Amino acid sequence: MLNKLLFKNQDKKQLIIAVIGAFMGITFLIVSIHYLIKVNQFGEGEDILGPNTIIVQKKVSNTSTLGLTKTDFSKKEIEKMKNLSFIQDIKPVIANSFDVYFKTNDSLVPPFSSDVFIQTVDQDFLDISDENWNWKDGDDFVPMIMPREFLVMLNTFMSAQGIPQVSDDLAKEINFSFRIANKDRSLKETVDVRIVGFTSEVSSILVPESFMKYGNEKYSDGMEQKITQIMISSGEGEFGLVEELMAKKGLDSKNSQMIVGKLKSIVGTLVIVILGISIIAVFVSGLVLIQYMQLLISRNIYEVRTLIRLGHAPKVIIRLFFIYFVKIFGIVTGLALTAFFLIKYFLDAMFTSGGININTDVTLESMLALLAAYALFSFTSFQTAKKGIFSQF
Amino acid sequence: MILEINPIEIKQTNSMQIELKNVMPKPLASIQHGEKSIWGSHVILHPAKKIVLNASSGKGKSTFASTVFGIRDDYSGRIEYDKRDIKTFSVDEWTEIRKNKIAVVFQDLQLFLTLSVRENLLLKNSLSDTFTEGELKTLLEKLEIDDKWNQKCGLLSMGQQQRVAIIRSLAQPFDWLLMDEPFSHLDIENTNRCLSIIADRTNGQNAGFVITTLGNHHSFNFDQELNL
Repeated sequence: MLNKLLFKNQDKKQLIIAVIGAFMGITFLIVSIHYLIKVNQFGEGEDILGPNTIIVQKKVSNTSTLGLTKTDFSKKEIEKMKNLSFIQDIKPVIANSFDVYFKTNDSLVPPFSSDVFIQTVDQDFLDISDENWNWKDGDDFVPMIMPREFLVMLNTFMSAQGIPQVSDDLAKEINFSFRIANKDRSLKETVDVRIVGFTSEVSSILVPESFMKYGNEKYSDGMEQKITQIMISSGEGEFGLVEELMAKKGLDSKNSQMIVGKLKSIVGTLVIVILGISIIAVFVSGLVLIQYMQLLISRNIYEVRTLIRLGHAPKVIIRLFFIYFVKIFGIVTGLALTAFFLIKYFLDAMFTSGGININTDVTLESMLALLAAYALFSFTSFQTAKKGIFSQF
Repeated sequence: MILEINPIEIKQTNSMQIELKNVMPKPLASIQHGEKSIWGSHVILHPAKKIVLNASSGKGKSTFASTVFGIRDDYSGRIEYDKRDIKTFSVDEWTEIRKNKIAVVFQDLQLFLTLSVRENLLLKNSLSDTFTEGELKTLLEKLEIDDKWNQKCGLLSMGQQQRVAIIRSLAQPFDWLLMDEPFSHLDIENTNRCLSIIADRTNGQNAGFVITTLGNHHSFNFDQELNL
């Protein structure tokens, strides 16, 4: 009867407009949060290098070939770049200053050997556990991260020999060895090595820092090492600034790293814009709904006041308005959630057919955003109802 | 003039006492009030008394009802229920008082015109379940408007609305019933019927009532007469 008295005779036009606005705002809000996270997650775990990380070197030009300009980085240069706001971390890539001879050491694969170039990077940049990435003198083997091109090359070689090709997992079971020596090869030793991961972003074999230090100390000719490559990690969606810095400083990087980073930056920025619009839409529609509640209370001033005078508790009347609007917003969020799943279904299918294998799990953050919007609206509704009803006491 | 109290009709009761201590509503402060006026005086409304408040227009009959009922607080002085200043009551306390201690018939009736007679009565009755629907219909029957049970209040005449408002005020437990010119649209016959029902109901629960009028005593034997 109270519901009939308070809610039956109302002009629902404004309510319908607010509901449509809230529905669209919430739908876009959760869709944009979901895909913003998915875009940022894209490519993660596929490479041993951490996300938003690139290896850069100075562009080699005719002047540098003639020795007129330097291709190495000074400590001052690195320090200066480190202080830039969008640079999260920057570390030199250390190379070997001793000879490394790499060879297969397993009956599973045909004999294969080559002089190789090894490098080490700070572990903070690598998406690998401490357990798999450490070495000390006397260990059974040295863990290494292999360039994926190397496995492709090895498989091509094996295929040509009529030997079955090896997968990533099988490659990790193959025994390899390094023969490390000084320049005149008067000092040398052989250590077993095992693949613990692959990278498409680095062109050399990566080894733990401790092994590089061991080799450089024991077999180096004593010359000071030049830093020709550095690793840079930037914040989410700030890759454009890194690119700008690279152009300004004449730095170079591997194309694939650039493209993924650039794409993530562009898509991320677009999604952030949509997210911003969605937040504004949710805010505005929430405001319209709250305004509608105020309007409804003011249209029912006589009824509310009389009910209170008859002995109806204000908190019961507040609860009626609160529940009415929470139900409306509940329906809106339910519809938005349904729309989200429909949009997600079609977008995921579009991505898959376009060859982009995106993780299809629902992100916790998008659901939390939905809950947060609902909680915020509920709280505001309650406060508005409380203020409106108590003012009639 | 203070009427004689009939000792047979006054029963021992724990009903609430209302006291006005030098109450002066701000809008009436500039008006010269007579010696017998309750405004600015110390007045006690003893439990279970039947009181008539007599005054001409503009002297503050409705102001009396709304200040005593706690709707207005723009007055100086003090109004007490059982020795407690009503300005100190919380929202919950007022709700409880209006539900169980003081009933009221407003001068403008304050019915919900879009709801039926039945709905208007049940909205009040549901707070305390004082009457059954059958009892409410019987009360309507006594006032000859039982055929309006499902009719919207907005379609009733003022006299019929007044009778619905009176029955609504009775549909709760109370110590006091405040009525602001409740019979202004009723003929003598209907007024007498209403007064009879009101007297029965108030006597039945040892309650008192205050009726404001423009001078008409409605042939009722009041315990006390107040003036403004």
